[in-house]
Amino acid sequence: MKRVVLRDVSVRFGKVAALTSMSTTVSSGEIVMLVGPNGAGKSTFMRVLLGLVRPERGELEIDGAVVRVDNAFKARLGYLPEAVAFSDNLSGEQVLRFFAMARGVSRARVGEVLSRVGLAQASRRRVGGYSRGMRQRLGLGVAILSEPELLILDEPTGGLDQEGLVVLYSVLNEWRDKGRMVLMATHDIAMLERRVDRMCVFRSGCLVADGSPSTLRREAGLPLKVTMTLASGGGAEVEAFVAAIGEWEGGSGEVRDGALHAEVASGELLGLMDLRGRHVGAVVDLRVEEPTLDVVYEKLLAEG
Amino acid sequence: MGRVALALVVHELLERTRDRWVMVISVLFALLASAVTLYGRQSGAEGAASALTGPSLVTLASLLVPLVALVLSHDAIVGERERNTLGLLMSLPVRRWEVVAAKFVGRGLALGLAVGVGIGASVALGGEGERGVLLSLLWPTLLLGLAFLAIGLLISTVTTRQVTAASLVVVVWFLLVLFYDLGLLGLLVLTDGSVSQDTIAALVLANPAGLYRMQMMEALTGPEVLQGLGMTVSLPGTVGSIGMWLGWILGPVVCSGLVLSARKVVQ
Repeated sequence: MKRVVLRDVSVRFGKVAALTSMSTTVSSGEIVMLVGPNGAGKSTFMRVLLGLVRPERGELEIDGAVVRVDNAFKARLGYLPEAVAFSDNLSGEQVLRFFAMARGVSRARVGEVLSRVGLAQASRRRVGGYSRGMRQRLGLGVAILSEPELLILDEPTGGLDQEGLVVLYSVLNEWRDKGRMVLMATHDIAMLERRVDRMCVFRSGCLVADGSPSTLRREAGLPLKVTMTLASGGGAEVEAFVAAIGEWEGGSGEVRDGALHAEVASGELLGLMDLRGRHVGAVVDLRVEEPTLDVVYEKLLAEG
Repeated sequence: MGRVALALVVHELLERTRDRWVMVISVLFALLASAVTLYGRQSGAEGAASALTGPSLVTLASLLVPLVALVLSHDAIVGERERNTLGLLMSLPVRRWEVVAAKFVGRGLALGLAVGVGIGASVALGGEGERGVLLSLLWPTLLLGLAFLAIGLLISTVTTRQVTAASLVVVVWFLLVLFYDLGLLGLLVLTDGSVSQDTIAALVLANPAGLYRMQMMEALTGPEVLQGLGMTVSLPGTVGSIGMWLGWILGPVVCSGLVLSARKVVQ
């Protein structure tokens, strides 16, 4: 499976339009993050792919061929539902064994997955005694058990501690490296922004933005944050540089704690560097920060 | 039935045998069945199995087996929904009706174990001449349990919260098992006996617990007992009886499958 396309998908729940003519593509080796407020349609969109929601309209295309969400397609998916809680009466190993049997996966793989998600020690304990993070890791184990080509994760960071996050990140990296696909809905943009290749912003059942983090940053047009540490002791060169910044039209800045903090439009960064070059010795260190994806998301959501 | 469904049958059987409520009621049934059998033996009367132990065991089973079955099945679908695992289950390569069927078969096997242990205890403790009679109760009692298991499964499918399903199965147990006969008596009193024997007999047989009791009474003690109770209408024959039991068992299961299959959203 190299390319999955959901095209023109519309879902209504009574009078409410949960999805309106939504389309998106997931390609091999790509991690796509779906973001948006609660009720924006992220989970519904994923459930359409899983065959859990029947859309009024829309089609699924795999590698150029239109297909139905049937058992053959579902066999290629792995799914982690939001806040999953398995039967309290069974052990983690028994839960995984059931899914292994259902998917035709070997028992040896169960052991591998238990180790992978960090539950080998707790595998014989009843799930009822697991913490929320352990249940989430077990859910992740169920999702990756059959090494699916498309991994669908709904709020995968929920309840995960640092150890769990490391497991999640390693799974995401592995899926990308092996040319598989990941589609995940999340509210933890900051936690996952460095791990994703694309972000789709949902609002009221519509897709308001879709692109790589760098593309979306550009589209949002938010300024870069530049921090320049000034040479200690001030001096004429520093004063001249600060004065020049004050008159500069490419951005604005203020001196605080021995550093000049400036907000600069991304196209003006070279102009700032040029200005700095004309005051050699005024700046001893420089740091440029791109706007974080959650800030970009808020901007795109407001504009969309 | 595909691989997923077969795995689900095994999973359900394993999970249900670890449910403490199922265990408690099953053990209670086994203990009471044993007590009834020992009491029958101590009476020393000839034919005690037919005259004393059997009918007592039938009364006990008609009260407890429906309860075990309803406890077993009330959370089959709604429990998965509350744990957010119904979507996960349905995301496997399996049809929705197969999930319902697998849940029924898996939990039916667990019910079979509970009934088997109860009746088995009674058979083991029964006298030489009693064992055949007591063993003959196994299959009809299982049918009774399966009928209530199916009703519980349907309740579990149509409700959205487990607590609602639990409340409904308790209501069903009270209505169909505990108070049904009292309700019929009340009907006779209220109508001053103007309701025909045929109607009353039909109403008794329309309830799986009533059907079970009537069939077992006739099998153990002969038709004259029913006539003594004023039941002048004969029980359905073998084919009719099988049809009625199949209706009670398959009807709710098929309805559950249809309801789940027709649902636009599964979560």
